Amino acid sequence: MILRNVAIRHSRKALAAPIPKSLLRTLTTEALAEERSSIEHSIANHTKETHSIEANLNQLQLTKSFHPPRETAESKAGVQRDYALRNHIKKRTSRLGSRIPPHYEPSDILTDPPRPEDVTLELLMASQAHFGHSTSLWNPMNQRYIYGVRSGIHIISLEATAAHLRRAAKVVEGVAYHGGLILFVGTRKGQDKAVVKAAKMAQGCHLFERWIPGTITNGDQILGNCAMRVVDAKDEPLRGFEQKIGEWKALRPDLVVVLNPRENYVLLHECGLNNIPTIGVIDTDADPTWVTYPIPANDDSLRCIQVIAGVLGRAGEAGQKRRLEDAENGIVTWLPSPGLGKPKDMEEAEKEKEEGGGVVAKARIVEDESEEVQSRRRRGPVDPEDGEDDF
Amino acid sequence: MRGLNLKPSRVYQTASLLLESQSISQPPSWFKTIGSIPPGEIMTRTQPVQHRGSNPRSRIRKPSKMFKPQLIEYEEDRLRREFYRDHPWELARPRIVLENDGKDAQRCDWSRIQQPGRPLSGESVIQRQLWLLNNVPGMSKAQAYDIARKEFYALRHEEEVERRIAREEATWTGAYFGKSALEVGMELEDKIYESWKVWATKEAETINLQRNAAYTGLGTGEAEEESVVDEDIIEAPALS
Repeated sequence: MILRNVAIRHSRKALAAPIPKSLLRTLTTEALAEERSSIEHSIANHTKETHSIEANLNQLQLTKSFHPPRETAESKAGVQRDYALRNHIKKRTSRLGSRIPPHYEPSDILTDPPRPEDVTLELLMASQAHFGHSTSLWNPMNQRYIYGVRSGIHIISLEATAAHLRRAAKVVEGVAYHGGLILFVGTRKGQDKAVVKAAKMAQGCHLFERWIPGTITNGDQILGNCAMRVVDAKDEPLRGFEQKIGEWKALRPDLVVVLNPRENYVLLHECGLNNIPTIGVIDTDADPTWVTYPIPANDDSLRCIQVIAGVLGRAGEAGQKRRLEDAENGIVTWLPSPGLGKPKDMEEAEKEKEEGGGVVAKARIVEDESEEVQSRRRRGPVDPEDGEDDF
Repeated sequence: MRGLNLKPSRVYQTASLLLESQSISQPPSWFKTIGSIPPGEIMTRTQPVQHRGSNPRSRIRKPSKMFKPQLIEYEEDRLRREFYRDHPWELARPRIVLENDGKDAQRCDWSRIQQPGRPLSGESVIQRQLWLLNNVPGMSKAQAYDIARKEFYALRHEEEVERRIAREEATWTGAYFGKSALEVGMELEDKIYESWKVWATKEAETINLQRNAAYTGLGTGEAEEESVVDEDIIEAPALS
């Protein structure tokens, strides 16, 4: 009996039906004969069902308006049973077999990125951050970041890498704390997951495809369809700004983190024209003048890029957390952008009352998450005396 | 682009000037942060880390050489060169250079040549040799090398015996193996040889034709033989 058919059948039915009791034994280390008979029994059960594969697919209703199947009480109970069973089996069998010592797991950097405090020289070395390019291809401007020459390549000083990375992390945290919009860019193959994860943590934007030239200088044209929202200090959406938002200019990032600056000269040039600070991973052949905060490291190693993006993402996450905590205590760390004014109904009320002053609403613009294209944040009116003086 | 563009480095100064001249009504959200965290110095050249002591007797004081990054060398490098000169085929063994957390070397105890989690290779011989040199009093480099490599040979021999027995056991229980590396190599060489033979025959024919074409004039058999001999001598270099 060939066992691979079992997997196909069971994976198809995995979500629909719970694991039958007869299959319990397949998950434990009981006798093979019993396993076989139980598997055969369950297969016989499944073949009795009349659902064809097409019927199953039609049931899924793969359209834009896909609604996941509603959870009934029965299916919930089934899921709970399966979960309890799985935990029981795990407890029984996890101690069997060899003890695997802690080792490098590539997905760990993406699922649980390191924090700026966790950055050590050993971590950077294991992530191959010290590998520069061939000595004949270097940019002499980077001489201060180079530790030495070995095997025909320049070795980047990991102390310089760590120091610059910590500095960049502080910048990201500060900008996030002050409600700035951070854009993470990584256009090389394999950098997309790191970039998306970092942007998610810092509540910023990501870009892993080619940067369209003019996205900043010609933003109204290229980002014309991007939706915006106005939010208050606690990131709750505000109403009354719909008309203004409809006519608003395209948002610009307040900080751009580029993981491969050598391939994104146009982006960095546009940021320079519009006075936007940038952070970039500078290899031994890259130009450090292209970015505001260079991080001398190996831009060819995905592991190194994931570590750097992870650290900066964590810094952004910490900044956002601090900002929201301060908002809970009534401290607003950002200023509203000029021109947004007050909500429509408030302005009308003020016009009618013909009085100065009045309650000021704290509002700012944020990207609408339902849109998939790049969008940015802006600020609403706020009392400028509020907010702490630290970064 | 031509020239230096220092605009990215001067983002804060530009924003300050714009604020002063009231071109912008309020500072951008990054202003305070960037103001309190100035970017590091760029483009200036510093004295590189000295890996080899400077030679005081040297009269070369070229500024361009003073700022050049130096070669990183370890004492293991010499031992590595010697080992791999003696055992070149050890270089053919594939190596995994992936590190776990960067502290793998700290978990090695080279009082034994085998380390958990590390494959046996030329590197283990060198580290073992270095450990013996540093920890055993009165040990010379050659002695340490001999001890380390003999331990290495014993373990490699064990591996080969295991491989041979495993192959025998597998064959006995019904497995069959494909062509070995030597057989594949021989087949490739045979293919190249056959193609060379075809080419060589064609070349020999062309040379023969040329030789016969260059043979001019009629004459007696003796004269012909003499002229043939002369032509042979002249045309022999053309063959090589």
